Amino acid sequence: MCLVSETDWIGAGEICALCRLDLAAIAELAELGVVTPRGTAPTEWLLPAAALPRLALAGRLMRDLGVNVSGAALAVELLESQQTLERQLKRLEQLLAP
Amino acid sequence: MEYRDYYQLLGVARTATAEEIKKSYRRLARKYHPDVSKEKDAEQKFKEVQEAYEVLKDPEKRAAYDQLGSEWKSGQQFRPPPDWASGFEFSGGARPGAGGAHGFDGEGFSDFFSSLFGGASPFGGGARRAPRQGRDHHARIDIDLEEAFGGGTRTLELKRPDVKADGSLDVRAHTVRVSIPAGVTDGQLIRLAGQGERSAGGARAGDLYLEVHVRPHRLYQLEGRDVTLTLPIAPWEAALGATVTVPTLGGPVDMQVPSGAQSGQKLRLRGRGLPGQPPGDAYVQLKIVVPPASSPQARAAYEEMRTKLGTFDPRADLGR
Repeated sequence: MCLVSETDWIGAGEICALCRLDLAAIAELAELGVVTPRGTAPTEWLLPAAALPRLALAGRLMRDLGVNVSGAALAVELLESQQTLERQLKRLEQLLAP
Repeated sequence: MEYRDYYQLLGVARTATAEEIKKSYRRLARKYHPDVSKEKDAEQKFKEVQEAYEVLKDPEKRAAYDQLGSEWKSGQQFRPPPDWASGFEFSGGARPGAGGAHGFDGEGFSDFFSSLFGGASPFGGGARRAPRQGRDHHARIDIDLEEAFGGGTRTLELKRPDVKADGSLDVRAHTVRVSIPAGVTDGQLIRLAGQGERSAGGARAGDLYLEVHVRPHRLYQLEGRDVTLTLPIAPWEAALGATVTVPTLGGPVDMQVPSGAQSGQKLRLRGRGLPGQPPGDAYVQLKIVVPPASSPQARAAYEEMRTKLGTFDPRADLGR
């Protein structure tokens, strides 16, 4: 058993299998800024393991809801922003609660 | 097992067109998708909707399902008829859950689905597959923040599509013992080598990836490896400064509240978050709690403050 460390870099092929996305979708998500790969050719890219949750989320949204890559990228950003705001809201509510 | 009315689950008539079925699935998937939905039991409802769509979108499966007749009601006790699916031609290759139940290969589909379309049925299709390396499987593990901090061991009961000796597929329950490393964060993956899909023909089994989800905590909020705690303090502790005891994940620690502290002010306890390289920090957000003026002594104390601090104007910045 091993933990996939946040600081690991993972090959594009493995990322495709893990997130069930094809390389073209990963490349488009990279173009849209969802992930920043290291390397030149997409087939030789290395991607940060820390980006796995957001790539997996994009994959699920594309498969399950039928959204395209741009839609998934937008949804990922909005969902993350919503999570951050919800955390801040919770903190403020705790602060203001009697 | 209980019968499932897939048309009812998708909210369409038995005569619905493929387009109507797709439209209804999209609408319900959007409503119940666990990544976006705030509905109660969203994940369970989403799986039911996915299961229904898995059958109704496929003309072969839909025709076979329709063959059962329209007299059945959801929840009725059901057993597949002995001649189930006989007389049908199959395109082959389809496997139960292909298309993914929330990315988990149909895990979580009902016994009703498995009995009709699982490996033992002509829809299983696995027997036609050539030997190859087992595929990686994915599942989710929910842990408490304390487990993320200190690590631990968990036994999980998972369902997985399994390749049988004859090459066909079946959905089976299996048990996995997982060591949770201390310092694991929300969204991180734990890889269990060789615990994914077994392969037919002696090729290597796939790996099982567990995606970690840390449950919300009563006191702490987690962000990466950092945790934030709201700490109530008395007005005199804020005004004069004080040493207060703060609960952290690693146990209580003493912290100095500076004099003149304000509500909402954040203080950092370096390295007191989740362990790691580097470890996270604990942030303590101060919340000044005003005691009620419910006794003559308390009222007198407040009156004295009003007299002695009369020039203090908390609304000075609002302008006049």
